[in-house]
Amino acid sequence: MNANTETAKGPAEQPEPGDRGELEARFEQEVMPQLPSLYAAALRLTRNPTDAEDLVQETFLRAYRGFHQFEPGTNLRAWLYRILMNTFINTYRKKQREPQTVSDDEVEDWYLYSRMVDGVEPSAEATVIESLPDQDVQDALAELPEQFRTAVMLADVDGFSYKEIADIMGVPIGTVMSRLHRGRKALEKALWNKVRERGLVRD
Amino acid sequence: MSEISCEEVLHEIEHFVDGELDPARSAHLAEHLGVCGSCLDRADFQRRLKEIVRVKCSGPSPTPEHLLEKVRRAIREDPPAIV
Repeated sequence: MNANTETAKGPAEQPEPGDRGELEARFEQEVMPQLPSLYAAALRLTRNPTDAEDLVQETFLRAYRGFHQFEPGTNLRAWLYRILMNTFINTYRKKQREPQTVSDDEVEDWYLYSRMVDGVEPSAEATVIESLPDQDVQDALAELPEQFRTAVMLADVDGFSYKEIADIMGVPIGTVMSRLHRGRKALEKALWNKVRERGLVRD
Repeated sequence: MSEISCEEVLHEIEHFVDGELDPARSAHLAEHLGVCGSCLDRADFQRRLKEIVRVKCSGPSPTPEHLLEKVRRAIREDPPAIV
């Protein structure tokens, strides 16, 4: 490259090589260590190792391109999950079968804690569900409508707070609570169906 | 402290288990759970369901060895961002 031609683009439009190096070093130090947890989340979303790899790569590229806008000291993990979710929704979900979507406006059933399982105490129900193989629980979670699955996954597997989930999914906190509640009810029902299929309880 | 009904407790039981209630409200619910077996049983179920999902769905999904390097290479080869 000829230094004399450098007037074509102003320094404001192109990061200086030094800036890029510094950005890369910070990215390597702060963001790359998050890759395993992002890969695990990508695998739960796509359920396919090849798609999960592509999703992670695209997520990290987007994160790298936007890293100069990330405010140091704020929640890096939630920021990365948000990029992961957006990338998943915009790119990979289109390749998959049309996801089930459920209206958030349906009548709330907050108070409908009628027992899902008649004649079985909740504690006994939990004990039977605990005996299911891991794969059954993973399948039951994977088969939930997408916005329920994502909310439950972010809260219970990844341990995010309601506020963080709201930021990641780009919805109000009330919607997060509603999706979590309905997702868990649906999951409970699905798990109990697995229990019956396996003959772990008598009808 | 005012009485709290089972209905109110069940309404907030997930927020309680998720640690999303403020300390005063959380203490209020805990007090009710101390004297109400059916609400306590429900709280226990929600706590265990959360734990079942955490333990059984976060199982080992080891990152493929080549993925780190693949991502690093993609980033190195990415054209410089326009700021």
